[in-house]
Amino acid sequence: MPADAIIRPAASPSGAAAGHRLPSWFATAALLMPTYGWLLIAVFLPLCTMLVFSFMNATPMGRAPIVFTLKHYKAFITQPYLVGIAWDSLVIGFWTTFLCAVLGFFAALALARATIGRARETLLILILLPFWTNGLVRVFSWTMVLREGGFLDTLWHALLPEAGSIGFLYTRPAIVLGLVHGYLPYMILTCYIALVTIDDAIIEAAQSLGARWWTILTRVLVPLALPGLTTGAILTFVPVIGSFMEPRILGGRVGVTMGTVIEDQFTQAFNWPLGAALSFTMLAVILAIFATFSGVLRRNAGGVA
Amino acid sequence: MKALARFYLLAILVFLYLPIMVMMAMGFNDSALYELPFRFTTRWYVALSGNDQLISAGINSIVIALITAVLATLAGTMAAVALDRRAVRGRTLLQLLLLPPIAIPWLITGTAMLVFFFWTGIGRGMHALLIGHVALAIPYVVLVVGTGLRTIRSDLEEAAISLGSTPLHAFFAVTLPLLTPSILGAALFAFAVSLDQFVISYFLSTPGFATLPVQIYSAIRKGFTPEINAISTILLVGSMSVIVVFAIFARPGGARDKR
Amino acid sequence: MTNVDITSVAKTYGQVPVLADITTHFAEGSFTSLLGPSGSGKTTLLRIVAGFITPDSGKVAIGGADVTETPVYARNIGMVFQSYALFPHMTVAQNVAFGLARRGIRGAEAKKLVDRALDMVRLPGFGDRRPKQLSGGQQQRVALARAVVIQPSVLLLDEPLSALDRRLRQEMQVELKRIQRETGLTTIFVTHDQEEALALSDNVAILDRGRIVQIGPPAEVYEQPKTRFAAEFLGDTNFFKGAVSNGALQLSDGTSLRTAAALPGNAKAMVAVRPEKMQIVGDGTEVEGASNRISARIDHVIYAGPALTYVLTAKDGTSLKIFAQNRTGTIHPEGSEVTLAWHPANTIPMEDAA
Repeated sequence: MPADAIIRPAASPSGAAAGHRLPSWFATAALLMPTYGWLLIAVFLPLCTMLVFSFMNATPMGRAPIVFTLKHYKAFITQPYLVGIAWDSLVIGFWTTFLCAVLGFFAALALARATIGRARETLLILILLPFWTNGLVRVFSWTMVLREGGFLDTLWHALLPEAGSIGFLYTRPAIVLGLVHGYLPYMILTCYIALVTIDDAIIEAAQSLGARWWTILTRVLVPLALPGLTTGAILTFVPVIGSFMEPRILGGRVGVTMGTVIEDQFTQAFNWPLGAALSFTMLAVILAIFATFSGVLRRNAGGVA
Repeated sequence: MKALARFYLLAILVFLYLPIMVMMAMGFNDSALYELPFRFTTRWYVALSGNDQLISAGINSIVIALITAVLATLAGTMAAVALDRRAVRGRTLLQLLLLPPIAIPWLITGTAMLVFFFWTGIGRGMHALLIGHVALAIPYVVLVVGTGLRTIRSDLEEAAISLGSTPLHAFFAVTLPLLTPSILGAALFAFAVSLDQFVISYFLSTPGFATLPVQIYSAIRKGFTPEINAISTILLVGSMSVIVVFAIFARPGGARDKR
Repeated sequence: MTNVDITSVAKTYGQVPVLADITTHFAEGSFTSLLGPSGSGKTTLLRIVAGFITPDSGKVAIGGADVTETPVYARNIGMVFQSYALFPHMTVAQNVAFGLARRGIRGAEAKKLVDRALDMVRLPGFGDRRPKQLSGGQQQRVALARAVVIQPSVLLLDEPLSALDRRLRQEMQVELKRIQRETGLTTIFVTHDQEEALALSDNVAILDRGRIVQIGPPAEVYEQPKTRFAAEFLGDTNFFKGAVSNGALQLSDGTSLRTAAALPGNAKAMVAVRPEKMQIVGDGTEVEGASNRISARIDHVIYAGPALTYVLTAKDGTSLKIFAQNRTGTIHPEGSEVTLAWHPANTIPMEDAA
């Protein structure tokens, strides 16, 4: 084929006629606008407003003058029972996080070291699936198991027909159990992501140096999984501290936590400023825990590097 | 050791699924007081079909989830494209700003919305719920679409531009078709986030307008009935199917396979 | 088909100058390689010609028309990327037809041009396949067809062969050269592979830290490097430093080396000699007029079958390397003292002395 055959006068690309062009930053801003505008109206402005509310004397109603005060932030001093509730909430939070961490770490380890390929992929999806279903429905499911005469009792009586009930619905362990069920998948995922990258050679090297399984676990696997454990712990602890639906359904009368107290201020007591102040106190505690943990995390990362 | 590990994984799966199975089974049990032995019935599902309150709440949930999926996917995809493909000042800060809706407890976000919407006169109801749900879904969309974008090399767009495409045409002719699986996945994800959302809906609902989870919650507070089991089963199966479809779309490497 | 002119182009990223005042001319129908280490600015220069990067100052003209402010899509360029950048969701034919469609050429006419282009890259009948079903070399041919079919004013190649293995690369070099000859496109080729640059190009431009240090035909650039960097980057080189006296280079041990080209006027100077131009006296391979001689001791011999590499130390302490053909099968033992001889014409004065 002669080369000239495909040589035609070069046609101009259609874009050549492009006239005035808008500056590049304009297009970028237009692309970002919907997302950040929406977050501004739905999240950031509300948080700011609530901060303002937390300094108000009372929920602004009618024409009553708005008085600003710090009294709601002193609630822990003026209403000492709140200290007990806050403590209970923290205890529930720590237990939930601790149990999630232990159960989740070993599940992630088993997943990363004892499964491969399609089986692993399927297992991972099965484990994560409940996390993306309605938490309320899952908590409700536990009432079916834990209630007096529920599934657990039925099993128990099948073994020991004469024994009493072991149903423990409306207790604090029931709350923790429901919360662990809710947040375990996340912990497994974060630990798995950290553990799956570990090279077989590292463990073989440790074994060749004479390390026992306990040493490998505490000196190799746990430190390597630490970033995953930390992330998982934060992602568990934060929502657990703010939970109110789980304590209400599984805890009944003993299910009084910071979450339910705050909810009450907005739905029952109509004391929004107190609810707002308690929310921000809680947020401050969460941020403090974040800061502590991220400090630990950074020191660890520095140590490894 | 491997056998033990697999047994442990099985135990975890039992822990995760057993209560759900029990709950579902009880929705097919004849006794209104959940008494055993088990006698199969579908009467709670039949009763459900006559419960207008739950049905309208279910329709509300689906309508809100659909609108949320469309709006959040549009906004989130645009932001993901800008953050991944364009020169953006303060990119790190913008990415950090996506975290609060995910990381701050919904109790706080929800009550803050309640306060703000009351104060500005936006009020509560369907529009307020939509504002809240879209805001919660957007960060997930940005994350999912952003991950998809990173698997598509930017020199594909450059190649199209070198061949005469304007940047806009290059995006629609090259990047968008390749990004479609991620965008569909993100939309499904947004749909699921909205469908399962309870806390924010709870604070923004009115007596006349509630979503299914809110309705279920008030029913649970009144007392357990197998009808709740029935509707919960439907909600659970619905959102599980959405997530399974999502998992197939967004499987790691799924987008790459299609290159 | 047009020439490309770069006038005083400069580009700085933050504080880092990437290109400093480049002025050069790419003649119509010529094949020019931009050769340099990474960070030398060769890719930046190519992307400035393409229009992906706007220079801070200076002008780019394609076919005499100033295109400095023209966006990429209106420049009518053809570009081949290192990663091929084939559209994975389109067939081979759709890939090749993409640029034609942008120029309003569709239907039967487009199909005819696409088929011809695929014939030219020797992939007839591949139009319905997907890029994923092709080998790396085949993908590269499709990328080339896609860039050439639109009859660009200039063909820009960004390390297009670097992702291929050695054998395929040599095969594609031949193909590339043939296609460039057939189409007669003005071609600019970025590479860090010196052999590739020498084998393919009409002109080689050597870039160092944002400047073109030398540009010319391959033989000229190789045989007459102007600077130490050019000599070192393109092939192996031995350097001798010394003082200039009576038009010759006086080494510290008193040896005098003559050059064919005039040495610079400075008191101190440096010359370069390619290793294959030096011979060991007594090899029976002596060339007439090899009047430059020095003594050296052999440190190592690297035996590679048909060729030998000697690593030596000259009397003045300069380390040297020479390449010898294994004609007689005799190998000079390590540690032996030998005399090296070469022609003054192969003794090249460096402009950036010492």
